[in-house]
Amino acid sequence: MSQPIVALEDIQLTLTSRAGPVEILRDVTLSVAEGEGMAIVGPSGSGKTSLLMVIAGLERATRGKVRVAGHDLTALDEDSLALIRGAEIGIIFQSFHLVPTMTALENVALPLEFAGAPDAFATARELLDEVGLDHRMDHFPAQLSGGEQQRVAIARAMSRKPRLILADEPTGNLDGKTGKHIVDLLFGLQRRRETTLILVTHDARIAADCGRTIHMADGEIESAEEALAS
Amino acid sequence: MTTEALPTVERAQDWRLPRVLPIASRELFRSFSGFRVFIACVALGVAVITGIGAVTDALRAGFERQGEAILGGDVTLSRMHVRSQGAERDTLSSFGRLSETSTMRTMARRADGADQALAELKAVDQNYPLVGKVELGNGRPLQEALRTGVVADPILLKRLAVKVGEPLRIGDIEIEVSGTIKSEPDGIMDRLTYGPRILLSQEALEKTGLVKPGTLIRWRYALEFPDDVPADDESLLNARKRIESKLQEAGFTIRDRRDPSPQISQTLERLRQFLTLIGLTALLVGGVGVANAVATFIEKRRKVIATMKSLGATSRMVLGIFLSQIILVAVIGIVVGLVFGAGIPLLLFRIFGAELPFPAETTISGMTILSASVYGFAVAVLFALWPLGRVERVSASVLFRDEVSTERTLPRPWVIAATLAVASALIAFALFTSDSKSIALYFCLGLVGVFALFLGLGTAVTWAARRVPRPRVPELALAIANLGAPGGLTRSVVLSLGAGLSLLVAVALADASLVGELRESLPTRSPDYFVLDIPKADFIPLTALIQRDIPGAVLEEAPMLRGRLVRLNGTPVEKIKAPPEAQWVLNGDRGLSYSETVPEGSKLVAGEWWPKDYSGEPLVSFEANLAEKLGLAIGDTVTVNVLGRNLTARIDNLREVKWESLAINFVMVFSPNTLKGAPHNLLATISLPSGTSLATEADAIRDLGRTYPAVTAIRVKDVLDAVNSIFTKVMVAIRIAGSITLVAGALVLAGALATAQRRRILEAVILKTLGATRRRILLSHVAEYLLLACVTAVFAVVLGSFAAWITVTQVMKISFSFSPVAVALALGLSTALVLVFGGVGTWAVLRAPAVPYLRSE
Repeated sequence: MSQPIVALEDIQLTLTSRAGPVEILRDVTLSVAEGEGMAIVGPSGSGKTSLLMVIAGLERATRGKVRVAGHDLTALDEDSLALIRGAEIGIIFQSFHLVPTMTALENVALPLEFAGAPDAFATARELLDEVGLDHRMDHFPAQLSGGEQQRVAIARAMSRKPRLILADEPTGNLDGKTGKHIVDLLFGLQRRRETTLILVTHDARIAADCGRTIHMADGEIESAEEALAS
Repeated sequence: MTTEALPTVERAQDWRLPRVLPIASRELFRSFSGFRVFIACVALGVAVITGIGAVTDALRAGFERQGEAILGGDVTLSRMHVRSQGAERDTLSSFGRLSETSTMRTMARRADGADQALAELKAVDQNYPLVGKVELGNGRPLQEALRTGVVADPILLKRLAVKVGEPLRIGDIEIEVSGTIKSEPDGIMDRLTYGPRILLSQEALEKTGLVKPGTLIRWRYALEFPDDVPADDESLLNARKRIESKLQEAGFTIRDRRDPSPQISQTLERLRQFLTLIGLTALLVGGVGVANAVATFIEKRRKVIATMKSLGATSRMVLGIFLSQIILVAVIGIVVGLVFGAGIPLLLFRIFGAELPFPAETTISGMTILSASVYGFAVAVLFALWPLGRVERVSASVLFRDEVSTERTLPRPWVIAATLAVASALIAFALFTSDSKSIALYFCLGLVGVFALFLGLGTAVTWAARRVPRPRVPELALAIANLGAPGGLTRSVVLSLGAGLSLLVAVALADASLVGELRESLPTRSPDYFVLDIPKADFIPLTALIQRDIPGAVLEEAPMLRGRLVRLNGTPVEKIKAPPEAQWVLNGDRGLSYSETVPEGSKLVAGEWWPKDYSGEPLVSFEANLAEKLGLAIGDTVTVNVLGRNLTARIDNLREVKWESLAINFVMVFSPNTLKGAPHNLLATISLPSGTSLATEADAIRDLGRTYPAVTAIRVKDVLDAVNSIFTKVMVAIRIAGSITLVAGALVLAGALATAQRRRILEAVILKTLGATRRRILLSHVAEYLLLACVTAVFAVVLGSFAAWITVTQVMKISFSFSPVAVALALGLSTALVLVFGGVGTWAVLRAPAVPYLRSE
């Protein structure tokens, strides 16, 4: 097994609410190898998305150690985390979160522009071509269907060739058929680019397509299972 | 892979312009509609400041371009009393072509003595005018018309019911009116006061018998340099210096074509500076709209900001993107404002151009564009920084977990520091561009106070609305709940309308107090007539004549000469930098007098008055306030040029003078031995007993004119009316500039209402689903708007009255009069604005269908 790209040690996440402190994650320890595909499943409120946010550096663990792509995220400030996200991590959201005032092409080029890449738009075109949206490049998010928006989001997440893709219920807002297309696209890209994929889902069939599935309940990893390589 | 190294180079460059600008501009032009109020607010303020500057620039450029014609030559030399003759006249002629004119006030009478009027007499020689042309109503050449008679202002002829071809009495002679004056190129240069003009030849003036030793007459010598003197400014300056050095002791006031009248230039400049400060107020009120627009924009973009951060953008980079957008929008607002502002003079001169004494030039100075741009930019940044600082507080986790409400925490320290720095820079710029630093400073501090007070009031109203017991009337309960709602209208409306209304109330009350002072207070305390050029020997019989016609009339007299201050403590006045409020003493000639005792209306505040039979070195009593401003103290010396001779006197005491009493007052009163020997006349005032009829008054003055044709009587009420009409025009300009502050307030109000519109519609829809009728919703809105308008107006009246009171009693030193009309106007305007703008919003709220809003939520 290659060196882990994600290594979590005894992660605890406690958030403060009006009713008092709420434990979201409890003593989570997890290791994900480079190139691996992993699904996180569990009921609502079990801490799946929070775990993803901790890995993305969007949420700071209350306790424990988070290492992603060789960086100790617990020791870094917000801007350093943003730079690491830009360089190493691609995130796909359930609600797509495309910038509504930018075209599909501009949305995909945005992370490359943040990085100062000279060929941002050429790369973005290639990626949109790869996800089958070569004819929709100049459309704004509001002019695209849900499935098309998610394809733009996937292309955007892939634009800087990240080593790690985090997807939060990528099919949650799509109908079954469109969801299937998106999952196929995502897995296809992951394999072709040998990227690590961590995916939160409610759908057991999607989870089954990942190499490994962890089950979460009440903020803890309840169980983990390896799937047979397909 | 175990790299801990962060991409540091990338980090250092993450907010550089080339990286953020393309993203910022792309994003901006697609979310532009959110910035309409922002742009309108900046553009309005910038347009006002540009317009004020451009009008002044156009007037000044016209003034300078026409300098030679306005002045009547390349250089003019003028002095009171003494005509230039002999060697001095030869010296003058040696510099170029010379034209001599002389100006004085006199009474022009009908030949039958039935009526008379004050006139400004101007005697001209054969060479007049050296530059430009005097146009007459009948098209005759001036010199030809003057060979047989005089030409006069048509207003004078109308007043006296005299026609061209009929005779007019001036002094001892009867002379035919041979034409009417249509235009006089150098007319504004030697206007003594405001009487209509009569032009006549020097020969005719001599025949009138008006010019005697001591007569108040100004002799002016216009010079046009020969063709071999180049027309550039440097040659002009050199020529002027040569003239000055040859005629050092002659007591001439010298002007050249570059700045024909420093007083007019200064007045224009000070009016511009004052109106600019009012324009700045409009811009600052608009700043509230800028802040609202930016806050709304950032609030709407929270998810975009979070998305950017999740895609690897640092806070600085996101801030850079949004700051670039704000700057781009501000620049658009500034450009729009500059364009509209530059158009203001074109419009004004098209309408009022004919009334100007000289044609204005269509031009705009770099300083006007720069100052309007600096003000616009600084105000936009000042008000945008605070809400923009929230960009840093938006976390990328917003994308996963909705925050219930944005926290109202303070921005990071650098944002607070930057806001304070921009505010200080703005005040510094306002001070830097104003001659009167103290007025600019008080104005700026006043504005800070007004903004702080209304911000506090807005917060207090919100706070109170959340805590008052809920009224039983549901409409009122809804209205009060809206006033206290987070993100409600209260703060923006109170701040923007309050500041504008306070300014208007202050201007209206200061105006009312000044008008009151001019129209009502003065005539009760001041004399009714000033009588000029009374020969000493004639005073007693003249007094008897007046008292015979009007028993109880009181005459007071003082010796009067005119002279020019030439040195203070041996330093030529041209080299003295006096504060603007004392500069007038050094410009041109002043009335001089002498007295054995402290003059009436004056109070000795330092030193002793000289003894009655004093015969030592020349002494002078100086007005205390002006002495302080000019840095003069007892023991210092002043040199005045009287009748062409320099005379130096030592300051022996200081007096306080109540100028507004309009009694006979002088800046300088000399010991009698200093001036008694010089030929001079008397100046007198006539105070009529109350109840004197207009007919009796007119008869007495006609009698005076017939018996003493060389004496000139000026009616104080006419002077006040003339002053009042100028003053009214200035106040109109100030009111217009002030009203624009209210327009800015209305813009902010419209912006704030538009922002709240969606929330209001949703609220109304929910109320409708709960069974509320449209009438009930309408009433709750009206109650909310009325409460807001009244609270704001009441505070604006209190604050505006206080500001007016301070200005009127402390700065202008006159009594304060309260004007209920001004207050009613403020209340009415406030209510009308809020109800009109609010009404439009409410109309849309009531018409909105419920289903789409309920579905989208």
